[in-house]
Amino acid sequence: MNPLAKKYLRPSQIPTKACHGCGIGMIENWLLQAIDELGLKQEDVVFGTGIGCVGRQTFATWGGDNFGATHGRALAVATGIKLAQPERRILVVVGDGDAASIGTSHLIHAARRNLGVTVICEDNMGYESTGGQFSPTTPAGYVTNSSPYGMVEPSFDPCDVVKAAGATFVAETTATQWHQTVKVVKKALQNDGFSFIHVRFPCNENFGAYALGTRDTLKNLEWIYEHTQGRKADGSETDFTWETGIKHDASNSRPEFTRLLREMNARVQSDLADKMAARA
Amino acid sequence: MPPPSELVAPWVEWERRVTKGRRLLEAGTFALTEGAIAAGCRVFAGYPITPATDIAEYMSKRLPQVGGYYMQAEDELAGMHMCAGASLGGLKAMTATSGPGYTLMHDAYGWSITNEIPLVVVDAMRVGPISGITGAPGQGEFYIARYASHGGNFETIVLSPSSVQEAFWLTIDAFNLSERFATPVTILTDQVVSDMWEDLFIPDDYAGLDFVVPRRTNLTMPFFPVGSDAIDVPPNIIGRGTGVCVSAYTHTEEGYDIEEMEAQWAQTHRLVNKIRHHRSELTRYETVGMDDADVVAVAYGADARTVKTAVLEARARGLRAGFVRPITLWPFLDDLFAVDRHYVVCELNYDGQLVREVMRAAPDSRKVHFMGKSAELHTVGEVLAALDGVARTGRIPELPYIWTEVR
Ligand SMILES: Cc1ncc(C[n+]2csc(CCOP(=O)(O)OP(=O)(O)O)c2C)c(N)n1
Ligand code: SF4
Repeated sequence: MNPLAKKYLRPSQIPTKACHGCGIGMIENWLLQAIDELGLKQEDVVFGTGIGCVGRQTFATWGGDNFGATHGRALAVATGIKLAQPERRILVVVGDGDAASIGTSHLIHAARRNLGVTVICEDNMGYESTGGQFSPTTPAGYVTNSSPYGMVEPSFDPCDVVKAAGATFVAETTATQWHQTVKVVKKALQNDGFSFIHVRFPCNENFGAYALGTRDTLKNLEWIYEHTQGRKADGSETDFTWETGIKHDASNSRPEFTRLLREMNARVQSDLADKMAARA
Repeated sequence: MPPPSELVAPWVEWERRVTKGRRLLEAGTFALTEGAIAAGCRVFAGYPITPATDIAEYMSKRLPQVGGYYMQAEDELAGMHMCAGASLGGLKAMTATSGPGYTLMHDAYGWSITNEIPLVVVDAMRVGPISGITGAPGQGEFYIARYASHGGNFETIVLSPSSVQEAFWLTIDAFNLSERFATPVTILTDQVVSDMWEDLFIPDDYAGLDFVVPRRTNLTMPFFPVGSDAIDVPPNIIGRGTGVCVSAYTHTEEGYDIEEMEAQWAQTHRLVNKIRHHRSELTRYETVGMDDADVVAVAYGADARTVKTAVLEARARGLRAGFVRPITLWPFLDDLFAVDRHYVVCELNYDGQLVREVMRAAPDSRKVHFMGKSAELHTVGEVLAALDGVARTGRIPELPYIWTEVR
């Protein structure tokens, strides 16, 4: 068995029910590598997920404490947990639907507050567990099961959104960038504030099959690789390019949200004590 | 001779025990807030809405003083989920809203019920549908509060106060029950009880209230005692490295998702029977004149105040009238309606909600009369006329703005 899996995962819950060749397991492996390289233990990290392939296939695989929120609400739940357990790292692993569609308002406001959580948005460019409909991150023009004539809506970049909202660490990678991903996850986990990492990966079953015309993992990964490089294997330019890397790094530059609340409480309580003393 | 009356609620005894305190003139929203603080609530997460906004404001002032956290959430979905997260993290939590926000809380309800998370939800009802009239009372959430989530397979606990003082004690009670039954408990209050100012006694020393059920934490398997109906099981905690798993799906004892008939059965057994089998722990009501009454007026919340006055007046005029005010709305107190007599059910909606449960519980549904009104409390005169009409002719006479048809 993979030694990282042995160290951090829950034997009864792996392997997951993810399809053969799916990128979800691979990315989780990278997350474990980052956690391990930082010397974190199981009890240091609370693992939170949403609904969808990304959520369901990773929920309860983590050997420590896990929560799987309803669709879109993982960050709202994480906010409550962080109030009560400020010392814990909260790793929220969600899909593009969870983060960039149904739960976007929680994402934006968690970023605005600089809540101390690390969000990994594993983006397969669609709603895959419901069978491959387009999502707000599906590239325009691409065919999915609910855009049979091509995706009409423009897509958006969740990194831009969280950066504008006030996130203190923002990075983007793809499933073809192992070391890069481990590096940015480590940086994200060292930021005492809101960190967001956007990782694109191929869904072979749906996005691959309908948008790209193949369920072959290697072909799908190749498509991701080409769009990361901006060049196809034959040297021609791709239809668009993802800019990967660190998008914004203001780590530890402003106070984590729950710390601000605790500081306010200390101030209020000491003022109150002074008042009581003056009255006595 | 005053008619025999009865108040069955734990705070009858609490009031006798707590002698040191302050007498104030305060609002219902203040009482709900102080009740929560007294019960040990340390997180409030919600979104402002009339007539629950004042609870949020009071909380924003009070919580930091006691080391708690006020969260102004981005919406009510977030608010209740934040409460659920905080409670999972080990802090008692509450949210408060009104109808439009209440509707948004359903997935948080389902999640909290399934995962046995103690917390308290206040719904200060106003007249609807939807935004209705902001400053007018309604009682349209009787059923929604019971069926607070889709999917079925659960029971819920819903309580309703009818005075400022009662709002204080009942909030402590709601927190206690949420801890003991490990589930969200709903306080259905209304615009009148929320906004009204009345005498309020609050104890000096909250820390000394020995009837407050403290938060305990379960640190070992089973995390979910599926298949068991036990209450007083300590709730789970996230963040202490117990390995607990909490999700939206049907779960095993460990909290893992599972798609099996057996697991579905065991989980349902737990969620339903921990409440059904301990109904006697949940009995709270007030009655007047039940020994000899031929016709009984039924009402809850603020509306019960004018209805009770009408019953006392009717008795003074020689009518054998009685009064029932369920404080526990769910599980429904069927036993209060076991005797075969006329029941006049007063509630603040025109569709008829409480009345349907009384019809089901009473021996003869033809003797259950509906007296629906909307946006204003029933007047004493209206209820007197109804009691008199039912006593004499078996029917409620026609009255302006009163709806009597149920089906
Ligand atoms: C409130 C709600 N709406 C819809 C669904 C149905 N649903 C389940 S997963 C999903 C899409 C998930 O997409 P994403 O977050 O991108 O995850 P993926 O499956 O692609 O990994 C939807 C729409 C749901 N479970 N809850
Ligand atoms: S449907 Fe797609 S995203 Fe979901 S497990 Fe299969 S390959 Fe992975």
